[in-house]
Amino acid sequence: MSRVCFMHGNEAVAEGALAAGCRFYAGYPITPSSEIAEILSGRLPEVGGVFLQMEDEIASMAAIIGASLGGLKSATATSGPGFSLMQENLGFAVMSEIPCVVVNVQRVGPSTGLPTRAAQGDVMQARWGTHGDHPIIALTPSSAQEAFHLSVRAFNLAEQFRTPVILLLDAIVAQLKEKVELPDPADLVVVERPKPTAPPGEYKPYAFGRGQVAPLAVFGDGYRYHVTGLVHDEYGFPTEDPEIVNRWWEHMTTKLDAHLDEIVQWESVRLDDAEIAVVAYGGTARAAAHAVTQARAQGLKLGLLRPITLWPFPEAAVRRLAGQVRRIVVAEMNLGQVRLEVERLSAGRAEVTGVHRVDGLAITPEQILAAVQDAAVRR
Amino acid sequence: MTYDRRFATTWQLLMDATCTVMGLGRDRPPPVILSSLPDLPYKPRARAPLSFVQGPPGRLIALAIGLRAALPDTPLVLIMNADAVSLGTNHLIHAARRNIGLTLLLLRAEVTQTDDRPALDRLGWDRPEAQQALEGAARPLEWVSALNAAFVGRGSLHDPDGLAEVIHQAVEARGFAVVGVTAETTLERGVLSRAEWPEYFDAYREWARGLRSPDGGAVRGRPAPPPPARPVPRCEVRIAGLGGHGIKLAGAVLSEAAGLHAGLWATQRGEYGAATRGGPSLVDVVMSSEPITYAGADHADVLVALSQKAAERYAAGRDPRGRLIVDAAEVTDRPPGALAVPITALAREHAGAPIAAGIVSVGCVAALTGVVSLEALRASVAEHVPGRMIARNIRALEAGYAAARQALEADEHA
Repeated sequence: MSRVCFMHGNEAVAEGALAAGCRFYAGYPITPSSEIAEILSGRLPEVGGVFLQMEDEIASMAAIIGASLGGLKSATATSGPGFSLMQENLGFAVMSEIPCVVVNVQRVGPSTGLPTRAAQGDVMQARWGTHGDHPIIALTPSSAQEAFHLSVRAFNLAEQFRTPVILLLDAIVAQLKEKVELPDPADLVVVERPKPTAPPGEYKPYAFGRGQVAPLAVFGDGYRYHVTGLVHDEYGFPTEDPEIVNRWWEHMTTKLDAHLDEIVQWESVRLDDAEIAVVAYGGTARAAAHAVTQARAQGLKLGLLRPITLWPFPEAAVRRLAGQVRRIVVAEMNLGQVRLEVERLSAGRAEVTGVHRVDGLAITPEQILAAVQDAAVRR
Repeated sequence: MTYDRRFATTWQLLMDATCTVMGLGRDRPPPVILSSLPDLPYKPRARAPLSFVQGPPGRLIALAIGLRAALPDTPLVLIMNADAVSLGTNHLIHAARRNIGLTLLLLRAEVTQTDDRPALDRLGWDRPEAQQALEGAARPLEWVSALNAAFVGRGSLHDPDGLAEVIHQAVEARGFAVVGVTAETTLERGVLSRAEWPEYFDAYREWARGLRSPDGGAVRGRPAPPPPARPVPRCEVRIAGLGGHGIKLAGAVLSEAAGLHAGLWATQRGEYGAATRGGPSLVDVVMSSEPITYAGADHADVLVALSQKAAERYAAGRDPRGRLIVDAAEVTDRPPGALAVPITALAREHAGAPIAAGIVSVGCVAALTGVVSLEALRASVAEHVPGRMIARNIRALEAGYAAARQALEADEHA
């Protein structure tokens, strides 16, 4: 039976992590994410897990990779400044294909920025923060309810695809307290790490193949293998042989792309007959949904496309949208990071404008409505 | 081992010495080795792969801490030169202070076939000798020995069996251990210092055993209340005043009465001034039978202003049909349509302190909206205030309800 309680987004992330089986957390507290660490410091020992405050975010990221290699579902939480520090080891987790979850509750940056104020400025950092081309998954919830479910999903996707998953929150969702329905644990889908079936001598920890993900053996389970940040062959040993390196690239670039249907999620609100659409995500999407209700009351055919998976980006959905509506208004608390994607995918078929705010205050339904009305006038 | 030690490379000797841990400790799982250099046993395939992590220099200490949390009995051996120690010193300090069970093999310069200087000089750049002379030698063993390591030892590659024995002792020390590895021919192997205190994760597990919750701590929340009999349209409430008015508590009582007792969806968003500073404080509560989208009460259906400033700042923004309640004593310059209720006076009278003003306000909101019943609010109050305070806060709630009804009737007759 499902149960209800009141919690803010950060608490919902922590509860989702526990429900997904997270048993190791290493982090350094930072506003506006600190409640996640605070809650898990008390809750993890209750369930036999380990909470560790590290010396910094570099160490936090390294420690969750290590714990994951040892078989524990692992996570860390931070904000922009800490996320910057994590990029080196995040790349290592991508390269060595080690599952883990990184929560980033965004605040206004760069540098120390506006520490207590909401922003959505780390969208592109979540995609390209670590160096080199690489696959990555980033999810962004709009409510405490969704924060719980996406927290569970982040761990599931991490295990399924052997990849770090970034859970990108904004302080609107992280700090808003609201009712959450917690599902019965029996109704929750929790993905456990598949165990290799090959005998130890034949185990390929990095078996290549289009969209293929090899099971990750836990150190100490009888399999001995090489883990490296260097480009490697299927056994995990470094190589510079261009033929193997290209097969490795094929493996890395298709391991998510071959599964977009399983990974990419978005929500559409009243898009069926829409002539104008808002694209918004995270806390901003709530103002956008409200604006849709208000616009419809005024007779404006407005709809909302809300990316839930930010990376890989819901490209097909946005392409379809650009073929349907005349104008797309992208509302986000940055200077146009998702608008760039929407413009690229629209390829001139729909006019794309933006509502952007970077002063730490939330975008209001009025601001979005004003931009929509402006777009409607210019038909 | 299958190779002749006389022709062994430094790396083979190191792996050889480290792997003796496997044979010596039959009660232990095989070790995991961590190094910024990769292991390359497959060309030629001299032996089966080890459990090995090649990663960013220095950072591997932090990675090994996570591994240790997951694998309490697996020996974790880190191979580090002076540069790796430099990069990872922050991690090293904290691993040492917690006595985390890692074994660090610190390669002295003669092992890495350099002089005692950091990377630049190893590149063979023709730097002026005077500039080079400015830099001190890199002596990682000396740096690390200054920490409170549980075990400090040393050994030489010229005495592989002796080195293996020291590594074995370091692993058995079950704590933060360092072994200096040199290539000196005259070095006496040995243990330089040893201390006995609990390994961090052993101690953590012992401590956490007492915290294990019988149900795994998994069950949160309460059974969902039945949904409301009729749909409840979106209702926005804003209570604004000063720190010390109990506004945060008011928001929690109202939103949770709606969400957990009345079967509605509800949000609570606020900016709370510190009680002692008397700064501006505000809470927005939105309630509806549908999930809440925007959580702001910018166009409040009910606005309660407990200070003159709050009335001035927010009155104009409320919904055109929205109600405005002001504190009769604090708000003397009243916007049109305001209902005056002696909120802080009622708080003092029934609860003995102005901090109950928020609860009186919630009573007012209940009277004006009918969205949440007094019964649900009483139950929510009882969940939010300490036992001895419940009765007086419920009196304050009911007083607010009655006073707002009265003010409303007076207004309608006027």
